[in-house]
Amino acid sequence: MNPARRLDLIDRPSHRDPSMMRTLLAVTAVAACLAATACGIRPATEGRDRGTLVIDTTNYPTTLDPGKQYDADTYSVYRNVFDQLLRRNPRTGATVPWIATSWRQSDPTTWTFAIRPGMTFSDGSPVTAADAAFSINRILDKKYASQQFANFSMISKATAQGSTLTVRTTVPSPTLLSYLTTLSVVPQKYVSQVGDEKFAAKPIGSGPYTVVSASAGTEVHLRANPHWWGPTPQVRDAVFRAVPNVASRVVDLQSRKADLAVNLTPDAADQVKRDPKLAVLSTPTERIAYLAFNTIKGGAANDPRVRRAIAAAIDYPALIKNLQRGYAKPVNSLVTPLAFGYDKRLPVNTHDPALARRLIAEAGAKGATVVMATSPSFNPQIVQAIQADLGTVGLKVQIRGTDQATYLKKVQDPGHDWGAVRFGRWSCSCLDTDGVVYPLFHTGEIWSSYHSATFDNLVERARQVTDRGKRAALYDSVFQLLAHDLPGVGLFQDYAIYGANARVRWTPDAQESFYLDTMKVRRR
Amino acid sequence: MRTTAVPATPRYVAGRVGQALLALFGVVTIVFFALRLSGDPARLLVPDGAKASDVARVRERLGLSDSLWHQYATFLGHAVRGDLGYSYVQNRPATDLLAERIPYTANLAVAALVLSLLFGVTVGVITALRRGRWQERVLMPIVLAGQSMPAFWTGLLLVLLFSVGLRWLPSTGYDGPLSLVLPSVTLASLSAAAIARVTRGAVLEQLSQDYVRTARAKGAGTWRLVTRHLARNAAIPVLTVGALELANLLGGAVVTEVIFAWPGLGQLTVQSVAARDFPVVQAIVVLASAVYVVVNLGTDLLYGVIDRRVAGAVQGGLS
Repeated sequence: MNPARRLDLIDRPSHRDPSMMRTLLAVTAVAACLAATACGIRPATEGRDRGTLVIDTTNYPTTLDPGKQYDADTYSVYRNVFDQLLRRNPRTGATVPWIATSWRQSDPTTWTFAIRPGMTFSDGSPVTAADAAFSINRILDKKYASQQFANFSMISKATAQGSTLTVRTTVPSPTLLSYLTTLSVVPQKYVSQVGDEKFAAKPIGSGPYTVVSASAGTEVHLRANPHWWGPTPQVRDAVFRAVPNVASRVVDLQSRKADLAVNLTPDAADQVKRDPKLAVLSTPTERIAYLAFNTIKGGAANDPRVRRAIAAAIDYPALIKNLQRGYAKPVNSLVTPLAFGYDKRLPVNTHDPALARRLIAEAGAKGATVVMATSPSFNPQIVQAIQADLGTVGLKVQIRGTDQATYLKKVQDPGHDWGAVRFGRWSCSCLDTDGVVYPLFHTGEIWSSYHSATFDNLVERARQVTDRGKRAALYDSVFQLLAHDLPGVGLFQDYAIYGANARVRWTPDAQESFYLDTMKVRRR
Repeated sequence: MRTTAVPATPRYVAGRVGQALLALFGVVTIVFFALRLSGDPARLLVPDGAKASDVARVRERLGLSDSLWHQYATFLGHAVRGDLGYSYVQNRPATDLLAERIPYTANLAVAALVLSLLFGVTVGVITALRRGRWQERVLMPIVLAGQSMPAFWTGLLLVLLFSVGLRWLPSTGYDGPLSLVLPSVTLASLSAAAIARVTRGAVLEQLSQDYVRTARAKGAGTWRLVTRHLARNAAIPVLTVGALELANLLGGAVVTEVIFAWPGLGQLTVQSVAARDFPVVQAIVVLASAVYVVVNLGTDLLYGVIDRRVAGAVQGGLS
């Protein structure tokens, strides 16, 4: 631009300032832009009742189709919309009737279930044995590609006749009933009619609640189903919100935006406790925190004496008191007292650094480097505490952290080249020793870096015997063998920690079921 | 007059769009192969107790057991028809998932940009005009503090004050326009600093120019000097930084979205990368690259509108 002209412009008096006009235009454009984008979002509280129970979960459910996924954030929501074939007694863990009122094992591989009469789905259609059979068979169907397939793969086929459901297994299965407590029954007719994708978007179930709305990524609104066969729940409306950050879930409780928050850390629970109008609800679960060793390519950890030394070097009481802040219990093996097969006669794991030092000297492993594989999914404070414990008895721990996908790829690789020790948490949602020790240590399983023909034989037999006494005896031998070989060591039994408004009356259970129909809210 | 100088010749635009498509193709290809090197989505999808055969089954269903080149060819074939695949995790089209998140991200990005421009430009101009005076000594530390505090810290402090303490504003989620305030202030506190510093630099540079002295000599007041003379000349660097910030913000503000449970693209990106949900990650990459390219192209064209010297250079360079 010619500077002379610019000067010229400055000198000329003008009534209408063009730059001012453009500023105005720009502001209008931005405002229009804001308004236009704001139109794309509906306020979450729109159409929400004042008495609505607001629940902060970690993630938005990956689907509302109960046949697909089985992760806590997903089933916490859909198990309120669907009834399960069986439920568990929240106190004892025993399998109790739900959709199935009774069952019997007619031969070692055949189970029959009587279906509760008079139940309906929320669209009015009856719940039948055919619906139950359909719900099982669709999970077994390759094309449907359920992520729960592995839990039901022992079933060869489910059939229905009148009000009787028949389930056949490939081998006698002692854990069938356990997994059937996680089976939600879906309406065959509706699902076949609309297809899986539409069903996930607009699910219809027979459970105590129906889906009012689900805005993807944000929240799911449930309302009590007036046609439910059980007692009318006190909580009429409930909203599940996805709040991934634990500190944000705590401030939601503190600012009274949320009434209940799941998956708190022990630190967050301490914060919640400081507010007199909030409460911490917690319960021991079947989840176990453990260390697993690489006994095949673990370097120093290939020697069972080093593994025993590591187990003796860990300051279990300090982990429970300082890091878990009391939200954990000591254990004696890799399963919790809740699991079938638990052996209460075994001694609780103890901290004995002198023994650890002796074992390390005996194995000639003093100063040896032990590689610990981990990922952000595992509490780094615990990993570091273990590193420090092992350091005091003369082992150098090198922590090798990667993200979870890479971690799984390494740890589950058949080459077993992932390091010497890893920290993890395990829950099979089956309350059974089989669901823990088989996948962790049976030769060839993706998690196993341990090989023992005796162990393999024992757990294979235990998984095909339905007689409880015989199974218990087999697991006694299993735990004796594990205590000797020590391919892994239990650190503590983990708690589920919830934060709640003090008005919420609810007792969480060990299975981490999240049944709204068991919750009550005291009126203000 | 002014309109005749707009440089948007069809040839120029076509050239830029061609470059953009090439860049997009390159980015998508790199991401396609890099993702497949780094982890197996099937292992994350199966339950804990799954067997190797279960993992293989899932891999096969997802088409991950085919050769890489076959997967790549299939992906490109579908992509040119606008089909970016189904989410492995949610079993829904990746483009649907993105479409749900875009309004949230756009809303937050625009609000944050407006705030940071208002605050950043004002502070930048004031600190330049009052260099070395108390105004600069008060404002610059505030701006620097905003920039140096990480979003998870700023965000939580704001929530503690305004949601927990005063109960004026919602802590998380979207409950109407008020919900926008805290997340956009958190985001703006980061980008305002950059804009303030660039503005200050640009204005300082202009202040030493002859035309400013002339304008002053002719009796132009501060307001007139800023709005009539400095604004246009100092605008280009500010616009550049603003555009980059906008492109960044539109890609999704990961930390801020997580703190405020804001279901935008940032959260989706983190979750999809963690789950190795390849189709969704690829769709996000396509979208983010497209946004970058469009915003940059738009900025280049705007330069010409603001300063015709640039327009001339661009036209001269291409014709």
